[in-house]
Amino acid sequence: MKKNKSVFLIAVVFLFSITAVHAQTLNWGSLQKEQKHVVNMYAGFDYAVVCGIGYSYHLKSKLPMLLNVDFSEPAGENGFDDLKTKIGAKAEVFNYKNIKLIASAHGIYRRYQNPLVRLQNFGSEFAVATGYYKPRWFAAAEVGFDKAIVSHFKHSSIYKTDYPAEKDGWYEPATGGNFSYGVQGGFSFKRSDITLKAGKVLAEDFKSKPTLPFYLQLGYNVRFR
Amino acid sequence: MAMAVSVLFFTACEKQLRINDEGNLVAKTVDQDISLPSISVNNAKFHAEAFGPIDSPMIVVLHGGPGADYRYLLRSKAFATQGYRVVFYDQRGAGLSQRFPKSIYTMQLAYNDLRAVISHYRTSPTQKVFLLGHSWGAMLAAAYMNTLPNFPSQTQIQGAVLCEPGGLIWKDVEDYIKRSRKFKYFSETFSDAVYADQFITGKQDQHAILDYKFNLLTSAESSVIGNEGRLPSWRSGAVTFDAYLEIGDREKPNWTRNLEHFTTKILFIYSANNKAYGLSHAQKVSSVFPNKQLFKTENAGHDMLSFDAGWNNTYPTMLAYFNSLR
Repeated sequence: MKKNKSVFLIAVVFLFSITAVHAQTLNWGSLQKEQKHVVNMYAGFDYAVVCGIGYSYHLKSKLPMLLNVDFSEPAGENGFDDLKTKIGAKAEVFNYKNIKLIASAHGIYRRYQNPLVRLQNFGSEFAVATGYYKPRWFAAAEVGFDKAIVSHFKHSSIYKTDYPAEKDGWYEPATGGNFSYGVQGGFSFKRSDITLKAGKVLAEDFKSKPTLPFYLQLGYNVRFR
Repeated sequence: MAMAVSVLFFTACEKQLRINDEGNLVAKTVDQDISLPSISVNNAKFHAEAFGPIDSPMIVVLHGGPGADYRYLLRSKAFATQGYRVVFYDQRGAGLSQRFPKSIYTMQLAYNDLRAVISHYRTSPTQKVFLLGHSWGAMLAAAYMNTLPNFPSQTQIQGAVLCEPGGLIWKDVEDYIKRSRKFKYFSETFSDAVYADQFITGKQDQHAILDYKFNLLTSAESSVIGNEGRLPSWRSGAVTFDAYLEIGDREKPNWTRNLEHFTTKILFIYSANNKAYGLSHAQKVSSVFPNKQLFKTENAGHDMLSFDAGWNNTYPTMLAYFNSLR
């Protein structure tokens, strides 16, 4: 199981050469009205080495908008102990001569487990990207904010041995929040995009940084009618 | 909307806890819980205990980290049954000792704290004082001894046991840290160390959150250092850890300049199972001492003083060393 998982991860990284951070990266300049479905795959650094898969549905609306769901998991021997799922929407809110402004909002459920604790969190993520989008390529800058709104802590017996008085349960106020900023770009051909984005991550106090203070993502999208 | 409703449903069923309230996720410090054993010295309250005859030669135990606590070193209480006064204290901002802002930490403050702890427990100027330091604690012990020619004679140290100090020159410390904290990016250990960052963030004065998160980070130990198991602890000190690493990066300290004058024998211990340390690093780090005994403890890694195999191999040599100098 351990070996198969490592092989799978390596295959994803090299076959699709991706990193996709935070949410699906798309060339809005090549997305056509009749293309209703978009599937994307990605891998890279997003608070760990991660890989993921997402699906978007292109709404029939005046404003180009996608509803999407996403699932990602960090590398490791224990399957599905850590994961992140997202559901939300992305929309092209501004367009002028290939200069576009893309906004996205997602609800998040994520899970983390180590020998000391299992964390389950509900949160949200907001991002905007603005750049130049042509049918064959695009380049943009992006900023985002990821908030862990409320988290459930369940500690193991190992932790309780060290600290018996600990309290399991739902914790608030918001247990975490990070800003991210960076650049994204890519190339499109036929129904596919290969995308790349990279940037930095900063805690919400603008002073602290996570252990991996950056993200790097390579993604592949395929669009269907 | 569905997500928001779901969250409200789940959380409404239970009383919510506040993440930065002391005592919820991490133990309270001595300034928050007066039932904990403590001493007040050098404008701070320290979690501290002492065992054994009060007038006997003193062994001051210095824990690692920085930012750990002395819980994993409590086996050293055994020296008390051999006629020693054994003093344990959580260093400033670590364990259950009082927390402070990052800006106050300096090496001189750490030396002053150690000197104050010694003075607190010392019953006479002729009472001998030994230091027993592990990892960062061994670095602190050596750095303190390095300052001693400038101190009055009452603060002299009569001997020291140094267990795998990372280095006494900052370059050696950096090299050791790189070797000892190796993680494979695709490993569960690495993910355990970093993935939690999106769940928990804390401001620099939110010590409860930062200490809890630091505990999650440091619980994912590299197997390179050969530890037998997970070390028991009360609470990690995240801010003090950051502070001393920043001091090291900024000042690139060299804590060896006066150690050639320390002619009393030092017992320098390294472990067989710590692949990041080894004989060559032990020889390099201990080379500054003109009079030393190098001892390799078998069947143990960096946690040589905490579990049966390491302790049973190390204790007799340490006891013999202290007895030779008492």
